Amino acid sequence: MTSKDSQDIDLQEEAGAKFHRGSALSIFASDRREDFMALLFAMLIALGVYLLVS
Amino acid sequence: MVYTKKNPALLIMGVIFVAIAILAGSGAADGVIGFLKIKKYVGEMVGMGYAFGAIGVLVGAWHWWGKHEEGNLDYYLSSIAGGIFILLIAMVVRWFGAPLVAVASKGLGTVMADKYLHDVLGLNYVVLGILAGIITVNVFGIPKWAENGVRLSRLGLKTGVILLGTLYSLAELAALGKLSVVMVGFFVLGAVGLVLWLGRRRKIPNSMGGVLSAGMGVCGVSATVAAAPVVQAKSVEIAYTIGTILIWGVGCMFLFPVIGHILDLGYIQFGAWAGTGILNSAQVAGAALAYQPDGIETLKVAEIFNITRVLFLPIIVLWLAVWYVRLEETTAGPQVNVGTVIFEKFPVFVLGFILMFALSSTGVFAPAQHYKGKYFDNDIAAGKLLKDEQAATLSAEAGKLQRADRKEALASLIQNRKVMTIDDETVIRGIFNANVLSKDANKILKTATKVVRHTAKKISKFRQWITLLFAFGLTGLGMQITLAAMKQAGGQPLVIGGIVGTTKAVLSLIVILLFVSETI
Repeated sequence: MTSKDSQDIDLQEEAGAKFHRGSALSIFASDRREDFMALLFAMLIALGVYLLVS
Repeated sequence: MVYTKKNPALLIMGVIFVAIAILAGSGAADGVIGFLKIKKYVGEMVGMGYAFGAIGVLVGAWHWWGKHEEGNLDYYLSSIAGGIFILLIAMVVRWFGAPLVAVASKGLGTVMADKYLHDVLGLNYVVLGILAGIITVNVFGIPKWAENGVRLSRLGLKTGVILLGTLYSLAELAALGKLSVVMVGFFVLGAVGLVLWLGRRRKIPNSMGGVLSAGMGVCGVSATVAAAPVVQAKSVEIAYTIGTILIWGVGCMFLFPVIGHILDLGYIQFGAWAGTGILNSAQVAGAALAYQPDGIETLKVAEIFNITRVLFLPIIVLWLAVWYVRLEETTAGPQVNVGTVIFEKFPVFVLGFILMFALSSTGVFAPAQHYKGKYFDNDIAAGKLLKDEQAATLSAEAGKLQRADRKEALASLIQNRKVMTIDDETVIRGIFNANVLSKDANKILKTATKVVRHTAKKISKFRQWITLLFAFGLTGLGMQITLAAMKQAGGQPLVIGGIVGTTKAVLSLIVILLFVSETI
């Protein structure tokens, strides 16, 4: 990807509107799904710490 | 579409991670480690080097030589290359880049009030990581194979925020919570009101004023997107708002730590200021970690303020809905259900933070009464009890104390040769903080409180995870700050945003300097 193409890395379409989201990109289809994935990862890390750190 | 690129990049990055682990672990890099004074990172280099090196090599080999088909597996696994790309840049900056800058800066000598240039400018691994990301995306461009993974950075930040919930004690959260509700309540509602008022004065459309007020008042992009349907904002108005927020937020992220260092703000003061004055969650975290890169006390304070602000989102959306319908004088008004918008757009990760705090409060990670990751336990070895001569020193100075609680706590310490209760410990801390006794006596008291305070190992591990997640997330954040996004800003929204943002930042700083002390 060239630096020119990279300028569109945050281009997003939401509810019919197209705009640069600017530092709020997500790999998931919605913010809500990303929130739940973050919660899942956090719970897994917490479980790992709980079980493995004496 | 197949997202995985047949490319050796991930494999090579995996090998680099492993090489760092081997060189650091075997002692072969001791010369460099000594020169850069980075011995504290050796454990991290070895552990992370092997862990992420293994992931990079295995997944990288599959990326390069494997057969890829369209689907979820391809989509999500393709992101690992970008994720490792961010992590490698973040860690190279943390382990080598920032220490090199520090060595060079120290070579120049002190520049202001016994501080080095890199301290004044806040050139630590957080700021340099974000800068590295900004330079990467705007100068070199994000490689195609890393494009999908760059989108993982916000997931890292959100996971970090949720895990932060494990670090607060009830006492800390109660004290910070009260302060943040007052500060954020006043400044968020004030900023929204000021944008709406200025918008009417400057004759911008109500939909533009509405969406800008949410962005400038609450929490950047999330609030903008949440408020947009309520005030029927057009895409160009959303773009204007996000551009304004981004320019303002990025500027603040770099400027706030410099001002904080010049004013010598304490961690609580700076965290409260950043959490109130900066708009975007990620930028709040960036500024807080930039201010205190080797600890997360500032981040903890700033995030409480940030989360409090996010909790104001439903109030603001309701306010804007009522305001918009009244001004547009149409019952049709927003063709949306406000309750649905609030439900759909409310950031669930904030609830995750509260959930993690609740879990931590049960005492599963550290005794529930822990404070800043340390807890009270006076079951100590005989060698750590007060010696006769130390007890004599304290007895000789007991007469200097006036308050009854201090006299009692000191008497109990002298009699039992150790601090007996958590309340006594608090009182004794008050004695040495008050500096009423001699230097020797204060030293004895400090040691006596220190030996009954223990670090919770699980809490320490959470701190390491949080630091890693934020370093990853903020470097990735830099890779999403494009000039194109900032160029969206302009016209009246930029002027109004600038006035309101500056007013909020300056007024909140004055309030903090006047009313917020380091000991809440």
